[in-house]
Amino acid sequence: MNNHGMKRRTGLGALLATALAAVPGFGFAQADKPLRIGFSMARTGMLANATPSQANTYELWREQVNARGGMDVGGVKRKVEFVTYDDQSKPEQAVRIYEKLITDDKVDLLLAPWGTPFHISIAPVLEKYKFPMVGNTAASVALRQVKPGYIWFPTSAIPDRIAVELVTMLKQNNVKTAVVIANVLPFTKEIKNALEPELKKGGIDVKLSTDYPPDIKDMTSILTQAKQANPDAVLALAYPGDSVLYSKQAKELGLNSPFQFIAIGPSDAFYPKAVGPASADGVVTIAHWSPRPEWKGSQAFYDAYVKKFGEDPDYLNSALAWMSLEILEKAVAKNGLDKEKIRATISKDTFETINGPVRFEGVQNVITPTAFVQYQKGKLQIVWPKSIASAQYQPKKGW
Amino acid sequence: MNASRRAWTLGGLAGAAALLALPAFGNDYVVGVGLTVLMWIALTQSWCVLSKMTGYVSLGHVVFYGLGAYLVVVTWQQVPLAFAVLGAGLLAAAFAALVGLPVLRVRGPYFVILSFGVSELVKFSIMAAESASGTASRILFGAPDLSVIYYAMAALALAATLLLGWVSRSRFGHGLRSLRENEEAAETLGVPIVRLKLLAFVLSAVIPGMVGGVMATRSTYFVVGQVFDPMVSITVIAMAIIGGGDDAKGPLLGVVFLALLSELLWARAPLLYMVILGAILIVFVLVLPNGLAGLAARGRTAARPPDARAAP
Amino acid sequence: MPWVDVLLSGQLLFAALVTGSLYALVALGLNLVYGTMRMLNVAHGDLVMLGAYAAYWAFTLAGISPLVAAPVIAVIGGAVGYGLYRGLFRRLLGGAQVDAGRVEANSLLLFFGLSIILQNVAALAFTPNNRAYQYLDEVVHLGNVSMTGNRIAALAIAGGTCIGVAAFLSRSVAGLAMRAVIERREAAYIVGVDVDRVQWSSFALGFGCAGLAGVLLSMLEQFSPFSGFPFTVAGFIVIILGGLGNLLAGLAAALLLGAIETYGVALTSANLRSVLLYAVFVAALVLFPNGLLARLKGRR
Repeated sequence: MNNHGMKRRTGLGALLATALAAVPGFGFAQADKPLRIGFSMARTGMLANATPSQANTYELWREQVNARGGMDVGGVKRKVEFVTYDDQSKPEQAVRIYEKLITDDKVDLLLAPWGTPFHISIAPVLEKYKFPMVGNTAASVALRQVKPGYIWFPTSAIPDRIAVELVTMLKQNNVKTAVVIANVLPFTKEIKNALEPELKKGGIDVKLSTDYPPDIKDMTSILTQAKQANPDAVLALAYPGDSVLYSKQAKELGLNSPFQFIAIGPSDAFYPKAVGPASADGVVTIAHWSPRPEWKGSQAFYDAYVKKFGEDPDYLNSALAWMSLEILEKAVAKNGLDKEKIRATISKDTFETINGPVRFEGVQNVITPTAFVQYQKGKLQIVWPKSIASAQYQPKKGW
Repeated sequence: MNASRRAWTLGGLAGAAALLALPAFGNDYVVGVGLTVLMWIALTQSWCVLSKMTGYVSLGHVVFYGLGAYLVVVTWQQVPLAFAVLGAGLLAAAFAALVGLPVLRVRGPYFVILSFGVSELVKFSIMAAESASGTASRILFGAPDLSVIYYAMAALALAATLLLGWVSRSRFGHGLRSLRENEEAAETLGVPIVRLKLLAFVLSAVIPGMVGGVMATRSTYFVVGQVFDPMVSITVIAMAIIGGGDDAKGPLLGVVFLALLSELLWARAPLLYMVILGAILIVFVLVLPNGLAGLAARGRTAARPPDARAAP
Repeated sequence: MPWVDVLLSGQLLFAALVTGSLYALVALGLNLVYGTMRMLNVAHGDLVMLGAYAAYWAFTLAGISPLVAAPVIAVIGGAVGYGLYRGLFRRLLGGAQVDAGRVEANSLLLFFGLSIILQNVAALAFTPNNRAYQYLDEVVHLGNVSMTGNRIAALAIAGGTCIGVAAFLSRSVAGLAMRAVIERREAAYIVGVDVDRVQWSSFALGFGCAGLAGVLLSMLEQFSPFSGFPFTVAGFIVIILGGLGNLLAGLAAALLLGAIETYGVALTSANLRSVLLYAVFVAALVLFPNGLLARLKGRR
């Protein structure tokens, strides 16, 4: 269960591969040197409970790729070996790790760390060494300020887009009044900053709007006030930690508004386990993927993840991680390890991924729409926008 | 005594020379390691000016670091960086001067947790203020080159070491020690304890403020919670305890030991390094209860002829 | 909310009591260890975390109710405390050439090392994923106050344990011995108190309380190997606020913090929740340097 399968730069793997390559018949199919791919991941510290959805996805990919004989590097298959370190949930440590990976370990390719602060912090390092890396779990309006060139962000969950789409969805479902509560951490704060003017523009009456610090332990006073306001929609801009606290206390206080939106948390398999399937049902959250027949490989990815890890992938983070791997795979298959060619390919081509087509303009993905999913009968369904929806939105029937 | 003093000076000079030459021949990773060591030296030596000397153990020293970082971030690209960093030191000192008097009335373990509380209070106040003003995050592009940051930190580490060295040898330091041993007795003897405590507090704040300012440039994405991390305070204390001793040499040993050990461990044992680190700390305490400086002192005493006076 | 409504709100009262009683239980264990041995157990929150995991595994793997598992886990916690005392800390305290300041510093480092080990072994053994389960999560209504079953249980057990320990300390001979060591250690030696036994039993009791707090918290919130530190912090805030070694004052301080968490937020704004908590703490300590209800005697 805890097999991350990382190997350090030991000679063993290389030795074995070399020995095998010497055996007649193994020739071209096996590389003599493993392909070393580096990344940092928070395995200790406050964010360690959020990263497994991404680390697991990387590991699943590595296993599948190696089972096929290795990653296609410009026509030659090479086995993948991870070189990875713990950034201790600190972006400065991630900076040092990527400096190490590039200048000391001299890895062949890089994968992204988890989280917006980490992506943005290492962007200058990537630029300094002209080392392209496909990002994944980063979502912030600040992304647009990152100089394009060596990093790309496939997600469509950008806060200002989220605000626009959410308000449109609210209006379409006849929501007239709302309550907004937000964690002051960057992502949810950005959503709130964009959301309030949008709600006003959309003519939705905000009965209560408040922020709270990330270490909050009890939301009784906030939610009592929210309940008194009796809104049609409660928009809980929460992080995974407080998403569970919010859900449990909303249940206790009977905050039964029909439209219940929780920003981050419910896309992770942990959420329904923590609050129970009855409470999870009907919750709307941010994600733009689900296993759909139109998206090649999406069902296969889902099945493989469930088989290996015994739980659903995170519909937002795991999907993004896999997409970034697919993009990298295709770029490297086409260009080998030439970094400038890889960069050119990623910047220009359209990629078919488990989330449909992806194409970048600058750092941003311009094809995947900003979307929302909802728990329905224990499964997450895309309920917005209609272009990729897999089910119809249903009002929540209490906790 | 002279032989050991000479050994320390030579060792110190050699170490300093190696550190200064690092950016010239080391890759970015190695320079980063050096930067980390220098940062901890600057922080720990400054902390010792207050906590080792007066016995007022501060568990909230990261507040100065955080304030310094915040100032640099808020004035990013509006004020020349050098001025911002100097301002960071001044801000930290001003804050220390402001809260020093009420806070230093509290003693012992109460002071320890109070200092932690002050740090958290400042952190959450800034968070609330940023949130109220609508700021979600701050991006800092255009940071100076790694070698510039490195040399700035080297200067700070040197300054901190010199500061602690001077304090521990001066009359001022003597006064601080007296209040560490017995504050009431010192007071009755006429030692101006309030003034001394406050001065030590302020002096211990300046360099951490500047360190925070310099380190803020290393991270393009500024998060308030990150720069007021309690682990920084705790690590400083651990390094000082491991180093032991009563002057500028002990903390140096502690920093170099713990920083290099952690570095070696996380690079070589990515999964187990924290467990190993914890185990080493425990073993260390049981085997070397007087810290590394105590070990060095024992070595000196053993080497000295039996009729020489033991070092304090 | 109009402030009269706030103060009379049964709902807020319930929330304040639940929060406060859990803070109190966490702080109780910490205070016992500090009171008798003057050691700051920075690994306390991690013991709480382990208690939570124990309850989690008992429930999800064996279907054992956390209420049933609670006393067992508390006893196991106590045994661990006893073992650690015998194995590590006795050696530390018994050392000849070290002064008291050095012992305090060393014990800090020892507990810190322990904390790192506990967190990271848990992360390796259990994975860093969040854990939570539902137990007794039906909502009960009393008047216009809604209460989730597990929160009522947590309040009852935490409150009961705190009162029980307080009674033990004031009524029983063993408790008296403990108080003696807390208030005047050298005198306790002289009068013939078996200080060693008091020390290991307060260690055991302290660790047991931590484990019990973990079990209760596991019913209410999610946790992961690294979620112990905030409880350590909360524990320290409470015991310092009340006055070190002063267990009853600690209970009062815990309830005060629970009150700020609910009433303070209701009267001002949720954004100020942490600012309020720490501001009250800092102000209280600056005004009362030995804790809010410090006895004038009884300081070592």
